[in-house]
Amino acid sequence: MNAALRGAAAALAPFAVILVLWQLAAKFAGLPPSLFPPLESIFAALLKMFADGSLAADLAGTFRRLFESVLIGAFFGTVFGTMMGYFKWVERASVAPMNFLLSIPGTALFPLTLIWFGLSEMAIISILIYEVALTVTLMTWTGVKSIDLALIRAGRVFGARGAGMLWRVLIPAALPSIIGGYRLAFSRAWRILIIAEMLVSVTAGLGYRLYYAREYFHFELVYAGLLVVGVSGLLIERVLLRTLERATVNRWGTVRELT
Amino acid sequence: MTGELKVSGLAKRFAVRQGWRRRIELTVFESLELTVHAGEFVSVIGPSGCGKSTLLAIAAGLEAPSAGTVAVDGKPVRGPGLDRGVVFQEFALFPWLTVRDNVAFGLKSMGMKRDERLRRAEKYVDLVGLSAFAQYYPNRLSGGMRQRVGLGRALAVEPAVLLMDEPFGALDALTRENMQNALGEIWQETHKTVLFITHDIEESVFLSDRVLVLNGRPSSIVLELTIALPRPRHRHTKEFQAHVERLDQAIRGELRINATQEEVIS
Repeated sequence: MNAALRGAAAALAPFAVILVLWQLAAKFAGLPPSLFPPLESIFAALLKMFADGSLAADLAGTFRRLFESVLIGAFFGTVFGTMMGYFKWVERASVAPMNFLLSIPGTALFPLTLIWFGLSEMAIISILIYEVALTVTLMTWTGVKSIDLALIRAGRVFGARGAGMLWRVLIPAALPSIIGGYRLAFSRAWRILIIAEMLVSVTAGLGYRLYYAREYFHFELVYAGLLVVGVSGLLIERVLLRTLERATVNRWGTVRELT
Repeated sequence: MTGELKVSGLAKRFAVRQGWRRRIELTVFESLELTVHAGEFVSVIGPSGCGKSTLLAIAAGLEAPSAGTVAVDGKPVRGPGLDRGVVFQEFALFPWLTVRDNVAFGLKSMGMKRDERLRRAEKYVDLVGLSAFAQYYPNRLSGGMRQRVGLGRALAVEPAVLLMDEPFGALDALTRENMQNALGEIWQETHKTVLFITHDIEESVFLSDRVLVLNGRPSSIVLELTIALPRPRHRHTKEFQAHVERLDQAIRGELRINATQEEVIS
């Protein structure tokens, strides 16, 4: 067995244990099967979601909202956070407002966005952008502030200024913290998004599906939906962020790879 | 050949907080005068705290002087610029760029086209002896190799003046000697104007046409020694060691004076 296979096995083993325990409990613990359905009915529900196309539609809806808002929020957060960490006047002007906003959870803005945008996509997306931009700004700011002064001096001496300083020196130098910010932003946005889809009746989305399944007492569908939510979150981390990390900071050796 | 660095009437003062609410003004140096002629290798040597690195930071345009000017070919320095190449003690390489792209960094700032940039970078990667490592990231290089990249990056912009701030200070003794030999050879090829900061006396004698000893508080040039030994130089000759001793005396002598002055003050 090669190292990659062994790694995959080690990652999957805990899941296998949980599934087995679940199945044993569902079969032999005498719990009502509607509340605690066995694996086969959960997977049947999953298969049905897949077959009738609702799974694809839900995933597409949820991921579109997620990526739209993360892209916009992360872009603004990265640029603004970098400026906060480099220009004293930007930092001075924004620290207090940022701390003010940080104490307002994105979800607490729902009443406001519902008034502004009604029961619409924008009500959700605006909150996600807010949350992502704030998180990324905070992490980028601290990241840029901890850049070794010698690197900034080298950048200045060798002609990086203005936007060039941002793209060529500050952002790559602060990338370990910035990726940490993206990671945090994705997980926060993901949580808020699932809840938001329950509150705002969009036409397709994982959160919407979960809520809808409960309304109609399809409990196996609730579990199937939760499974999809969890696996999706895991894939965002493994596929997207881990790849970004491998391609940048790990390759450069600016963060330590655990051995 | 152009590339004259002229320092005139240079002063640097810092406000230092001492204890509760008491601020004192610390004068690093007052009206410093020195000229590095085109194609000349000049070292500034002195004990730590004598302001030699401050002098270099001002020449690099990274710090502003309190008074006076630094001029390159008659043009006063008002900030960082690509007419001066800087080599840092901490190497300060960009870890996200390969050796070649580190060397090409300044060329990109100049707006040089990609082909030309790569050709020029390759030439200087070659010059510093790293052609086999052009595609490596800095974290995989040894200290000596890293500083070779630092040197290549500074030379690649083909500056009028090369400013080196204790470039080998962070290296072990063996590597340091190695790098001194390499720099000596490269300098004989390029004949750049060099302002070299160091606290290593042998290093300054080995490399320089002229050595300036900066000492005292506020510091000033207490000795100017021309080294006319033929190149390449050999460290263990009598003439070489005589120069080393002369400089050593100048630095230590001043140190003794400083100590007694401080005793009187306190």
